[in-house]
Amino acid sequence: MNASMNRAASLARKELMHIMKDPRTLLIVFIMPLLQLVMFGYAFDMEIHMIPVGVIDRDNSTESRRLIETFRGSDLFRLSEAGAGSGDVEASFQSRKTRAVLVIPPGFGKDLARGPAADVQMIIDASDPNSAQLMKNYFGQVLAGFNESGGRGGAMPFDVRTSILYNPDLKSAFFFVPGIVAMIMVMICALLTSITVAREKETGTMEQLLVSPVRPREIIAGKVLPYVFLAFLDGTFILVVGILLFGVPFNGSLLLMVGLSTLYIITALSLGLMISTVARTQQVAIMMALTITMLPTIMLSGLVFPIESMPKPLQLFTYIVPARYFLQIIRGILLKGSALAHLWQPALSLLVMTSILLTVAVRRFGMKLER
Amino acid sequence: MDETRMTGTAGREAGGENDPRTGRAMDTVVRTRGLTRRFGSFTAVDGVSLDVGRGEIFGFLGANGAGKTTMIRMLCGLLMPSGGEATVAGFDVYRESEGIKRNIGYMSQRFSLYEDLTIEENIEFYGGIYGLKMDEIRVRRDALLEMLGLQAEARKLTRDLPLGFKQRLALGTALLHDPKIVFLDEPTSGVDPRVRRAFWDVIHEESKKGKTVFVSTHFMEEAEYCHRVSIMRDGKVIALGSPGELKREYGRSTIQDVFIEVASGRTAAGGGEARAGGSGDSAGPAGKGGEGS
Amino acid sequence: MRRIYFMMKKEFRQIFRDPPMVAIIFVMPVVQMLVLSFAITTEIKHVKLAVADLDNGVATRAITRAFANTDRFDVNIVTDDPAAVKEGMRSWDAQVGLVILPGFGRDLARGPAPQVNIVMDGVDGNAASVAMGYAAGILQDYAEKSAAGAPAGAAGRGAFPARMQERMWYNPDLDSKNYMVPGIVVVLLTILPMMLSAMSLVKEKEIGTLEQLQVTPLGRRELLAGKLTPFLILSFIELAIVTVVAVLAFGITMSGSYADLALAALVYLATTIGLGIFISTITGTQQQAMFVAWFFMMFMILMSGFFIPIENMPPFLRRLTLLNPMRYFLAVVRDLFQKGTPLSSLWKDMLPMGLYGLAIFASGVMKFRKRLG
Repeated sequence: MNASMNRAASLARKELMHIMKDPRTLLIVFIMPLLQLVMFGYAFDMEIHMIPVGVIDRDNSTESRRLIETFRGSDLFRLSEAGAGSGDVEASFQSRKTRAVLVIPPGFGKDLARGPAADVQMIIDASDPNSAQLMKNYFGQVLAGFNESGGRGGAMPFDVRTSILYNPDLKSAFFFVPGIVAMIMVMICALLTSITVAREKETGTMEQLLVSPVRPREIIAGKVLPYVFLAFLDGTFILVVGILLFGVPFNGSLLLMVGLSTLYIITALSLGLMISTVARTQQVAIMMALTITMLPTIMLSGLVFPIESMPKPLQLFTYIVPARYFLQIIRGILLKGSALAHLWQPALSLLVMTSILLTVAVRRFGMKLER
Repeated sequence: MDETRMTGTAGREAGGENDPRTGRAMDTVVRTRGLTRRFGSFTAVDGVSLDVGRGEIFGFLGANGAGKTTMIRMLCGLLMPSGGEATVAGFDVYRESEGIKRNIGYMSQRFSLYEDLTIEENIEFYGGIYGLKMDEIRVRRDALLEMLGLQAEARKLTRDLPLGFKQRLALGTALLHDPKIVFLDEPTSGVDPRVRRAFWDVIHEESKKGKTVFVSTHFMEEAEYCHRVSIMRDGKVIALGSPGELKREYGRSTIQDVFIEVASGRTAAGGGEARAGGSGDSAGPAGKGGEGS
Repeated sequence: MRRIYFMMKKEFRQIFRDPPMVAIIFVMPVVQMLVLSFAITTEIKHVKLAVADLDNGVATRAITRAFANTDRFDVNIVTDDPAAVKEGMRSWDAQVGLVILPGFGRDLARGPAPQVNIVMDGVDGNAASVAMGYAAGILQDYAEKSAAGAPAGAAGRGAFPARMQERMWYNPDLDSKNYMVPGIVVVLLTILPMMLSAMSLVKEKEIGTLEQLQVTPLGRRELLAGKLTPFLILSFIELAIVTVVAVLAFGITMSGSYADLALAALVYLATTIGLGIFISTITGTQQQAMFVAWFFMMFMILMSGFFIPIENMPPFLRRLTLLNPMRYFLAVVRDLFQKGTPLSSLWKDMLPMGLYGLAIFASGVMKFRKRLG
């Protein structure tokens, strides 16, 4: 047992030296997530400010001017006169000078007085549907304000009180820091491990290891442990940056976090080992690791795009993406202070996946090596 | 533009036939004076001066890192010299490397055909980029395949050939465009003695046709096949002459013994026609690899 | 010219002989297109809703129904314990809570105006703010409808409301595919040419054939032209394939001219292929090339407006996007597809894109030396 430990340890030391001697990869491993963190953290702000809006006032009455003033009073818009022809609106959208045009039809002022209602037209450049939806909401709010200040109808017969929990300022960093941690772990444990195993195969050093008294299980341990260490280091690094720079909270239990992260790391490692039993060259390993692990982790786990909004078949597919469960776990623990009682479902799913993957991976890896 | 250059060269080296076996050619096709190449503080080739004639088989001997590959790379126009002069086929290595490239063939240490192309596709490709016409390519391809006895395998992937055939195919491809000078950088490393023999048959054949062959090797018995041999150490040519001359001069019966004596540095600079710009006791750092980079 | 022809012929032979390569070039883009178009959506649908209706009257049930009847919300939890809403959020069974206290129906009829409480899980800020908008809209609708039953002019004489009629141009159904699919076309035209040209150049370096080519009379420009023209042609085939998939499979309308699209793509490909050459000059192995290309790609995609709108970025990052060639091409392609803007009106994007293309391509070619060392 002791000899076995020693052998694994010396393998691990060798692996760690490989990692340290490749500063380019190491740099990418640490810098890239940081860059993503900064970009997502600062850039993914869903509020749009100073939307350029063109105004066509065909009524030119006191009421229409008052409406325009109400719009001007909000810091959401930047108003400008727009040409009145319909070709002008098209041209201003095509040149991206305006994103929306407010058209007040003739008789707006009269209609307000006579009832039942006065229509204003809002032409929105909906090529980006998300922004279009937001703009529409903003316009609705401004118009509601206009109506209310004029004592007009349409006011809600009840109050809507909205409260936002866990991330009251809707900071995107809160959302992305856990996601980036999940991504790093897959990148290091699945991508890097499968590449290094493939490299040993390519250069023939794996054969050298096999003729030595090292047993397959020790090879796995020795290869994998440095990456576990690196994954924890990198994950902690991003988490600390997130906490210090963006004020991401840590509400839950540290113990639970470490435990379930370990589970997730083992899943990612198993995937990496499985890939390396199939891939004979680094190039194949890279391609496989990217398509089987990285892409699903980024695209199909809820890291950026909500799973509920995907079509049903794609949603079913997300159930076999480990990051899906880990994201619920890590976001739950960090932001919501969820306990195991809340997270038993994703934790159990992850545990089942991990045990299946690990068994298959170790068996396959051992078999491949012994042959 | 290309055409005028070509005729220009032909004019420059117009001179009668000469016996390649004299070791001294009347019309020099490769000429270097104090050729030097430094990599940082390390001098890989240190002031080498040589004259090699038409039809000569000129061997470069030396341990790994002695500067053979660097020398060949400079003469091929792959590497800019740091100092000295050199002309190859009448073209200056500094300014006229494109002219050189039209007149030489080159085979590097590494296998340089495309493994994922078939044998005939490789031949066609290299013929094509040397500007041969399609019917010329066909004629030469068939001749080459016949010589290698590979007619039946022409459509097989190069990857599937045995190493010996691969190497001979690479040599044939390097000769496809009928260059004036051929540079072979350790062409026979890793092949069995039979293939090596076949290799040298080709080399002698080409030399008889008037081609100059530069070959670097670390097989000493191969040095015996050369018209003249230069032994390099630490970037300097420390002995130069025909195998017979060298053996006489050092009083040894084989080139191997000469090499051991000379390369170990026990003797001062060799004799013969060596105009090597330096002596055996070199100042350069020994044992550093200048072959790569 | 003949030399370039032979070089190209060789390159095509190598590409088509390598089945994984053929798959990467022709099958992957279609698969990526299909998966990404469905996965990358800025629409928020089927938000999990927890309803704690403590009043349970006619009005509150009508409100709950109004939420349940859209595909924007799925009622996942119905409870009479407001605390269960928060617990549901912690276990990811609810994202939005609708909490109505007892006496809502009574207060609605007699006053004072009762409260509707909406509790949002703010973790996904984007989804939360969109869902908030939906919820407000549904409640507004409900309020209007119930007001319609009340006597006209209830708000008093001479005080009639202004109403908004919105016209959504270019994308009346606010279908996010119309926006994202042209973007995916751009992403594919960024990744493939850059990766393929970098990898194929580095591969010749790695296996030693580049050195062999360097001693032939093949000039540097001929070498690059012969090597990269096949990838330029393949990129155009690529563009054709993904455009056909976009139009036929996703029903995206191409409002502009295909010739304009091809011309803009040509200018952009100078940039991506030029980057490929550049990467090949700073790396020695395919693995390194792959990592560096990936790094470039990540930066370009994040800073292009592909899923983070540029106007939402803080000024510093917004200025940084000006350095990103993909930003311009993305804007051009989206405008061509959705608005049918003629290329002549897009000169503000085409000009910087062309300049970047020229500069990057030229410096890539310059840096790619024929001599070693």
